[in-house]
Amino acid sequence: MEQSLRVKVNGQDLRREVPPRLTLADFLRDRLRLTGTHLGCEHGVCGACTVLLDGDAVRACLLLAVQADGREVTTVEGMGEPGRLTPLQRAFLARGAFQCGFCTPGFLATGEALLRSGRRLTRAELPQLLAGNLCRCTGYGPIVDAILEATGSR
Amino acid sequence: MKSAAFDYERPTSLPEALDLLDRHGEDCKPLAGGQSLVPLLAMRLARPRLLVDLDRVPELRGFTGQAAGAMTTNAQLERRAGDLPPVIAAALPHIGHFQIRNRGTVGGSLAHLDPAGEWPALALLLEAELTVESKRRGRRTLSAGEFMRGPLTTALAADELLISVSWPRWPAGARWAFAEVARRPGDFALAGAACTVIAGRTRAVVFAVGPLPQVAGDGGFEVTGDLHASAAYRREVGKRLLDRVMTQAAI
Ligand SMILES: Cc1cc2nc3c(=O)[nH]c(=O)nc-3n(C[C@H](O)[C@H](O)[C@H](O)COP(=O)(O)OP(=O)(O)OC[C@H]3O[C@@H](n4cnc5c(N)ncnc54)[C@H](O)[C@@H]3O)c2cc1C
Ligand code: FES
Ligand code: FES
Repeated sequence: MEQSLRVKVNGQDLRREVPPRLTLADFLRDRLRLTGTHLGCEHGVCGACTVLLDGDAVRACLLLAVQADGREVTTVEGMGEPGRLTPLQRAFLARGAFQCGFCTPGFLATGEALLRSGRRLTRAELPQLLAGNLCRCTGYGPIVDAILEATGSR
Repeated sequence: MKSAAFDYERPTSLPEALDLLDRHGEDCKPLAGGQSLVPLLAMRLARPRLLVDLDRVPELRGFTGQAAGAMTTNAQLERRAGDLPPVIAAALPHIGHFQIRNRGTVGGSLAHLDPAGEWPALALLLEAELTVESKRRGRRTLSAGEFMRGPLTTALAADELLISVSWPRWPAGARWAFAEVARRPGDFALAGAACTVIAGRTRAVVFAVGPLPQVAGDGGFEVTGDLHASAAYRREVGKRLLDRVMTQAAI
């Protein structure tokens, strides 16, 4: 049976009927065509699908769309746009923090949550804080650099 | 990797949730943070006909320094680390990644009962009490040992919910240590141990080595091998970690 869902996505209030088994990731990608949220493993391990739920970084593949009812979701599409990138996106660009880009939307969501948390981020603890996002290309160094650079501009 | 179809209910009170479980029994599953259940659904290792989402049941929320409602997330507890027994505060950052802890709950960790989970080990170590409730039989309180039956198996009946977990007051001067080995931060432990020394009494627990967390005694402990680590590795590393936490806690 379809379930009615009211959710705010990237600032826009939406009302949709969805089957309960639909994950938030599939809702975003297939129903809203917001394909910036990527799916790697679909069981919580790779972090590619990370989005912000009421400002907290969560796995969109491990959340049913109906669980987002009454809440606010921010995806990479809601973070900045060409010509008006966020400080974190600009730092990713400047530092070469992506190659194929598959992992990037997830790292941006994780990075955004870390920046918004207001905690002081150090180079020593970032590898641990980023352990929930996998990247097969960059070797992580430039991603750590980019997040530290964005910390400075916050 | 797509779940089979199921129905979905989102009760807004405990009686309503217990009534749903009472009526649907084995056909339904409670949904907490979904960090273990949603993957099981996607892999079709679980195929309930109905999910009962506990997110809006206020009776399962709330936290004091000595007890947590089942729906308390690990992230919420981390933010109150100063009010917790220090051994719980030390273990929390090891429970998956912070994104997982934003959703994963104390109740879900205990009810899922992964032998490598930190919460089952903490519950055994601290001699926690688990309060469970069903519509027909009402409330009962179980010790951690009574609650844990085997890997991924608890004393919860199909119509029963875990309501809360409580632990004794942490006395001034009590000592403790916690250690685990995982391949990367946030991965499930390949072996772990924790120890408390309270009023001169030492209690140590080893976990992620066998079918359940175990209180360390003279008789050694049960080990199992799998894809991630052999039984011999777990026996050796478990022994070393136990030695380490018992030494650290004694100092
Ligand atoms: C990448 C990754 C890494 C992880 N690493 C770790 C780790 O290192 N250590 C660790 O301990 N865990 C780890 N986890 C698991 C995580 O902590 C889960 O959140 C937790 O085990 C289950 O909690 P949940 O709230 O998500 O429960 P759910 O997934 O919603 O539920 C789990 C089970 O418990 C039942 N249940 C839930 N609440 C209740 C209740 N109140 N009463 C009765 N039954 C209930 C459900 O029906 C289901 O069977 C990891 C998960 C992922 C995806
Ligand atoms: S696709 Fe969600 S964590 Fe990998
Ligand atoms: S840039 Fe290719 S996976 Fe990270």
